[in-house]
Amino acid sequence: MRSSPKNNLSKSAISAWRVSTLLSMLFLFLIPLTMWMISYLGSGQMSLWIISAITFGLVVLAGLAIFFIPEIRWQRWSYQVDEHEIDLQSGILIITRTLVPVKRVQHVDTRQGPILRSYGLADVTISTAATTHRIPALEEETAEDVRDRISKFARLAKEDV
Amino acid sequence: MSKPERQHPVAAITKALDVLRGNFITILLVIFIGGGDEDTFLLYWIIGMVVLLLIWGVLSWLRFTFELNEGELKIEQGVFVRKKLYLTSDRIQVIDISAGVIQRIFGLVAVEVKTAGSSSKEAKISALSREKAEELKSKLRQAVNGKEKDIEHEDRDEPEQKVYSLTTRDLLVAASTSGRMGVALSIVGAAFSQIDQFISDEEIYQFIEANMPQSTSASLVIMSIIGILLISWLFSFITTLITYYGFSVEVRKNELLISRGLFERIQLTIPFNRIQAVQVKEGLMRQPFGYVTLVIESAGYGEKEGNSTVLFPLIDKGKMHGFLKEVLPEYNYEMMQQGAVPPKRALRRYLIRTLWWTLPVILVAWAAIPYGVYTWFLLPMGLLLGYQQYRDAGICTEGDTLIISARQLSKKTAIVKRYRMQATQLKQNPFQKRMTLRDFIVHVASGNQGRSFSVRDIAVQDANRYWQWLAMERQSQPEIQDTPFNHPDAEVSSED
Repeated sequence: MRSSPKNNLSKSAISAWRVSTLLSMLFLFLIPLTMWMISYLGSGQMSLWIISAITFGLVVLAGLAIFFIPEIRWQRWSYQVDEHEIDLQSGILIITRTLVPVKRVQHVDTRQGPILRSYGLADVTISTAATTHRIPALEEETAEDVRDRISKFARLAKEDV
Repeated sequence: MSKPERQHPVAAITKALDVLRGNFITILLVIFIGGGDEDTFLLYWIIGMVVLLLIWGVLSWLRFTFELNEGELKIEQGVFVRKKLYLTSDRIQVIDISAGVIQRIFGLVAVEVKTAGSSSKEAKISALSREKAEELKSKLRQAVNGKEKDIEHEDRDEPEQKVYSLTTRDLLVAASTSGRMGVALSIVGAAFSQIDQFISDEEIYQFIEANMPQSTSASLVIMSIIGILLISWLFSFITTLITYYGFSVEVRKNELLISRGLFERIQLTIPFNRIQAVQVKEGLMRQPFGYVTLVIESAGYGEKEGNSTVLFPLIDKGKMHGFLKEVLPEYNYEMMQQGAVPPKRALRRYLIRTLWWTLPVILVAWAAIPYGVYTWFLLPMGLLLGYQQYRDAGICTEGDTLIISARQLSKKTAIVKRYRMQATQLKQNPFQKRMTLRDFIVHVASGNQGRSFSVRDIAVQDANRYWQWLAMERQSQPEIQDTPFNHPDAEVSSED
């Protein structure tokens, strides 16, 4: 077994992920919020214990998701691109190692949502005829460089499906 | 065919039927809601609808032209919005010729041209005479194979076309052992649950009392289970019969021609160089008799078929190698003579995995259904299945070929070429890490998406070995020295 791929993601990926998880968690907190509202304004039939338990559980979950998981995710993520293959390793509990022969690549592009953009980051998406892979949260320049490199290697090795 | 041509006028009818089929529910609604109570009124509605559809069909037939020019197929269509479609022949993956009921009445065929990644509905010429369809096909193929032809012409003697067809006996066996029971079961089950819409409970009870005076609730439950099973079996029997009636595979120089179907004759043309992988499926009911199904994965073909094409619905396992040798020699491999299998320590994981679904089912059934206690018999069966899954999992290589086999319910052995591999993955969860096991997954292209084959819980060093092997295509590396099968008792020393 070769050692893990040698490139890491951008360090600011962690902050970007934290922000995006925070935003999605806010949506999740709408559930206990409505429950509290109902129990205050409505007939108050819901058990306060259950609502408190749900809220507490969500707080713990959100805390984990926001403070620990991005860090772990960042540590586990690594990638490496050379003229023959793209080597990816990722996963928080389940560790996945993926190998994509460069000549199988159909197209490659970079994507950037509002949060990533504010951190100057971009995702690289690699598509083959069968699968789609993503290297998340690279520095914009790195992302462009990776994209161009893959695309160049893929062109050099172009062949049938 | 160098000037624009129209289809056969019958296309007007098929188009009308297509529209009818596509809007079936809307039309029903219109008829029932808009029609009101009076019967004559309803009749007018229906006649009006049919006339409208026919007019639409004729218009779209008038506006549909196709043209073949120097290997480029150009289709213009659309009544209000003109659509132009250009298909260059070297991008064409599959040419399907099929004949539905309407087409067969008039002795016509429909031609469908598919390219990789595009939805192909629009490249369908729905009514053509057979000769014209063949002409179109050969012209499109010629343009593709132009270069190869020059080389191949050197060996003068045209290889004779070999045709393999399914005997009536095999068709019957295939139909009666088809694994479509599950699908059929759900349909029949759904139908049964709707039955009280038409017949009231009392009527059912009266019927039962009149015919079977001595019945108890236990015998009723058993009998209805048997009844449902029988009906679903019959259903799957008939659908399989219809699907594979007159099945034949014709081996041509550059392509396979597969035809099948009773009411709708379907002909698939699959060029050899589009074939990505071959799967050998051993169904639960067929395996004891030594029968297998051969399935091809090919790029750019078929949304309907779940992206795979049946190469041969039923073949004796012993004859399979002979068949593959003549039809697809590069995919003819002895299965699993040596290679890696899950080590003994993985057995526990295989068994536990089946418990994940058997135990909840049993507990729920036990608690909720009368006689639910009998669902406990699922447990030994589940464990047995788990053990069999463990026995059947394996992976090995031969030359440039990877053979990977695993069982869900039926055993599937995939034969994949290294140069067809789209991506390879290794997965490991914390439990597997503790036991130094890994899942191994390969992806190949199939249809518009891909298909993956995986083998679970093989020893880390084996997984890494094969992973490495796949990465080595580019260099001339030593191949894996496959050790002879040492299933399943030899404990493999663990390392990370």
